[in-house]
Amino acid sequence: MKKARFAKLLAVTGVAALLLTGCAPQSEVVSGSSLAVAWNQPFYSYNSSTTYGNATANANIIYMTGSSFNYYNDVPELVKDESFGTYKKISDDPLVVEYTVADTAKWSDGEPVTAADMLLNWVAVGGAYNDTTFDPTEYMDPETGELNGKQPDNIVYFDSGADPTNPSGLGLVTEVPVISNNGKTVTLTYSKPYVDWELAFGVGLPAHIIGKKALGATSNADGAAAVIKAIQDKDTTALSKISNFWNTAYNFTEMPTDPELLVANGPYVISDFVADQYITMTANPQYAGAHKPKVEEITVRFITDPMAAVQALQNGEVQIISPQATSDVADALKALDVTTLLGIEGTYEHIDLQFDKGKSGTMNNPKLREAFMKIIPRSEIVDKLIVPLNADAQVRNSQLFLPGAAGYDESVANNGSSAYADVDIEGAKALIAESGVANPEVCMLFSATNPRRANEFALIQQSGALAGFNVTDCSSKDWGGLLGTPGAYDASLFGWQSTSLGVTNSSPTFKTDGINNLNYYSNPEVDKLLDQLDSEFDPAKQIDLQTQIDKILWSDFYGVTVFQFPAVTAYDQTKIKNVSQGPLSPTIFWNCWEWEPVAAAQ
Amino acid sequence: MTSFVVRRLIASLVIFLAATYIMYVLTALSGDPLADLRTSTSPQKAQLIASRTALLHLDVPVYLRYFIWLGGVGKCFIGQCDLGVTIQNQPVTVLLGQAASSTLQLVTFASLTAIVLGLIVGITTALRQYSSYDYGVTFISFLFFSLPIFWVAVLLKQYLAIGFNDFLSSPDIPWWFVAVASPIAALLWAAILPFSGRNRLWTFLAALGATAGMLTYLKLTNWFTYPHIGVLGLAITGTAIAFGVTGISNGLSNRRALTAALIVVGIGVAIYFPFLYGFSFYLQPWSFALLAVVTLVAAFFIGWRLGKPDRAPVARTTVIVAFVMGLLITIDRLMYVWDDYSASERVKGRPIATIGAMTPGLEGSMWVHMLDTFTHLLLPTIALILISFATYTRYSRASLLEVMNHDYIRTARAKGLTERTVVVRHGFRNALIPIATIVAFDIGGIIGGAVITERVFGWKGMGALFQYGLDNVDPNPVMAFFVVTGSLAILFNLIADIVYAGLDPRIRLS
Repeated sequence: MKKARFAKLLAVTGVAALLLTGCAPQSEVVSGSSLAVAWNQPFYSYNSSTTYGNATANANIIYMTGSSFNYYNDVPELVKDESFGTYKKISDDPLVVEYTVADTAKWSDGEPVTAADMLLNWVAVGGAYNDTTFDPTEYMDPETGELNGKQPDNIVYFDSGADPTNPSGLGLVTEVPVISNNGKTVTLTYSKPYVDWELAFGVGLPAHIIGKKALGATSNADGAAAVIKAIQDKDTTALSKISNFWNTAYNFTEMPTDPELLVANGPYVISDFVADQYITMTANPQYAGAHKPKVEEITVRFITDPMAAVQALQNGEVQIISPQATSDVADALKALDVTTLLGIEGTYEHIDLQFDKGKSGTMNNPKLREAFMKIIPRSEIVDKLIVPLNADAQVRNSQLFLPGAAGYDESVANNGSSAYADVDIEGAKALIAESGVANPEVCMLFSATNPRRANEFALIQQSGALAGFNVTDCSSKDWGGLLGTPGAYDASLFGWQSTSLGVTNSSPTFKTDGINNLNYYSNPEVDKLLDQLDSEFDPAKQIDLQTQIDKILWSDFYGVTVFQFPAVTAYDQTKIKNVSQGPLSPTIFWNCWEWEPVAAAQ
Repeated sequence: MTSFVVRRLIASLVIFLAATYIMYVLTALSGDPLADLRTSTSPQKAQLIASRTALLHLDVPVYLRYFIWLGGVGKCFIGQCDLGVTIQNQPVTVLLGQAASSTLQLVTFASLTAIVLGLIVGITTALRQYSSYDYGVTFISFLFFSLPIFWVAVLLKQYLAIGFNDFLSSPDIPWWFVAVASPIAALLWAAILPFSGRNRLWTFLAALGATAGMLTYLKLTNWFTYPHIGVLGLAITGTAIAFGVTGISNGLSNRRALTAALIVVGIGVAIYFPFLYGFSFYLQPWSFALLAVVTLVAAFFIGWRLGKPDRAPVARTTVIVAFVMGLLITIDRLMYVWDDYSASERVKGRPIATIGAMTPGLEGSMWVHMLDTFTHLLLPTIALILISFATYTRYSRASLLEVMNHDYIRTARAKGLTERTVVVRHGFRNALIPIATIVAFDIGGIIGGAVITERVFGWKGMGALFQYGLDNVDPNPVMAFFVVTGSLAILFNLIADIVYAGLDPRIRLS
């Protein structure tokens, strides 16, 4: 209307303007299609293998723009991506593994992925050449806290958290991996068997780019060759430059000026990044693997507040959210016309009993441990505190297995946890009477600043009082530092974070004097089984060993597991489909290539 | 004066150091910075704990760790500020820079609007004390004042963003709405405007007609899809503004001032079309800013030339009118891209945003980006205005009421000055003295005062920095926040005192 009325004037002034400037007014909005996902923390480093960049917010973006030999799906189980590469174990002892990248594996600048990239990842993540005498804090830029890249040029230090004096994981590969098959295959030889080898290795940053930037090579081929040569010759000067670059160059919080830093080998490449606002990834035209994306462009917007994320979903600013699960979020989502996925996170809540060095010492007595486990109202805790956030929440019944992972159901069926499914006040009373301790005290350590744990404690306290337990409050805001302190408490209530299904994760927790063994549990049989587990390559036998350990833990009255932290994801089903949520990193992003736009049905 | 400033600064510095010490220790003792690592089952757990301990000097007792931090801050005096690193190993100095600019963008406009609106409403309520308008404003301002901002924010998002965007998808005003809304609006106007008896009835009828006419116009022109002020709207509003500003500032009897103001309006109307369809397409932010400056200078020149014998007040009037005209033309230009913006693939027909500072990936002219910034600033600005508006109205109302009861006001009236001169020149100026203190103090406070607003609207500013630090038991970002807000509070308190002495000759700084 307005436009018709002013069309004539527009023409006149437009022509005048044309004459004046010699060019026509541009169309003012350039359109494109997009899908936006909310995440609660900004991205800040494109290298999540450094201790600096080690965060979920980085890992998600790196996952979407990268390829790996394997990844976790939503079950969770480890799935191989053979369009990127294949690997096979040649022998158990010594452990030799051969990795071959597929011909379809390419970097976004068109270069193929080669052994150079794998060699670089080995030297960086494994840290075999790291100078053990080097103290990185001396070279941290006081201004930025990052390594300042000014360390002497004869020092090799990859900030991957690897400790060459006490190697683990990829660090056990002490010899330079052998390249074969025309530069497509590397063979890794571990100095001692490492059963989680499948999780240890992948392809990280592009060697040809690092070769060009750090070593001054003039072409891509020269860059890759220079990196291989530096590693094979253990050229300290060159490796020092490579490590400086690897440690620092990929830490950016907005679009980097050098586009070559964004070279990636996955379904997407970073195309836009505004500090504290969003990061956008566009489908990688060079990608030739099996994970060809269906959505052309994915934007991750940084939204901290869970309710703000819900309203942003409602207002169409984002199409997928995965906020912290709170009852407000659960209620708000119920009222909306969106699809809500309820699931679990890797972290699980559990109660450990102090086998020794407790405050009152009551938990040294197996009868009292059993009695205490009988009074813990696990299903009531889940029903009252977790079900409001996630209607599907269930009690976790295994010390070793993640619900849903292979072995969980079998282990739960016969590990003896069913004896503690319901509160058994009479049974507990009888056991207390047998123990001869009147009114036994159990002091519980938990976070004083966490309301949920305070509520759990209150429920346990009430239930314990019925059976004659005097459950007291040992909570502290410094509870984390008090864990394992002799004489500080009798039972602890906190969560362990599982970041992988690696079987070697159990030893630190359950083995005598393990780093995470904070309740002085010690059982020679369990120690022996854990040793076997740490050197058992057969998945079926691994599960068998874990099942045995699980059963012993329950029959030793180790303590109880309570619940898996709830996770909630919601998406707009009118815009997108095939969204699914996994318990392990990268949670909702694990199948981003299957996300598919829904055609507007209007 | 100098000795006063020096004494004040020394005293402030001592208090400030003590405050930072308390703040640092309290933050550091508020929890366990290693909590997340302690429950980790990562194979690198021991190394990660060791590296964080080294990074944040956790092996140094808190009482001494403060001095490490203080040493870094001390380097600011040699130009190498070191505010430490966060628990995630990010440099606080860099984060502070980003946070401060983000917060300034968020709060500047909101604060200015709240001050201007608060003053206008406060003064008008004081002049119409105990009228229904006064009661109405008192009720509304206390209502907003008592609302928690996180709740206001959620309501704003629900209705002004989500609800309004839903409306915009088929923006038709039904006739029944016109029929129902017009009498309600008319009733409100009749209650607000300070008339009684027959005049109140005329107010009601006029408001009824105006509202119904306006809504019908909006409906028939499909205004919400193609919003505009238009040349006619610009001419009418501009003329009204010229009369209003001249009336308050110079008095309508000052014909020269009125003529000058109307000439400015005429020029504004004359350049409307060339601007809208012509050179506005080629403007860049810098040339736009230049144009704004040129406009104001030109308006000043017009006022100066035509304003003999009292040039300055007339020039002031023309500059204000030119500013408002420029604002209206700019708004109209933004409305011109509204339908393109709203229908773009990025915005998807939902222009009012609830989160963030910009639409990801939006490309377009300066006007599109400006509009995009405004649609993102809209809700947080309204939320901030609603809660600070009450303070300004109450203070300015009370202040003007007190001044108007003074003897010198009675004297001014007795010697036959017009009511305009009495109110504007003798009342308003003196009423501003106490307000100046509050405004100066508030400007110091706004930088840090938007913690909750920032969180709910997804802005990563000073408030987010503070909250992030507190959540992670990380003193460095908290201290950065504290240093900035604390020194601004001290600085602006000092400025307030100095300004006070300048405005009120009864006060001496010695």
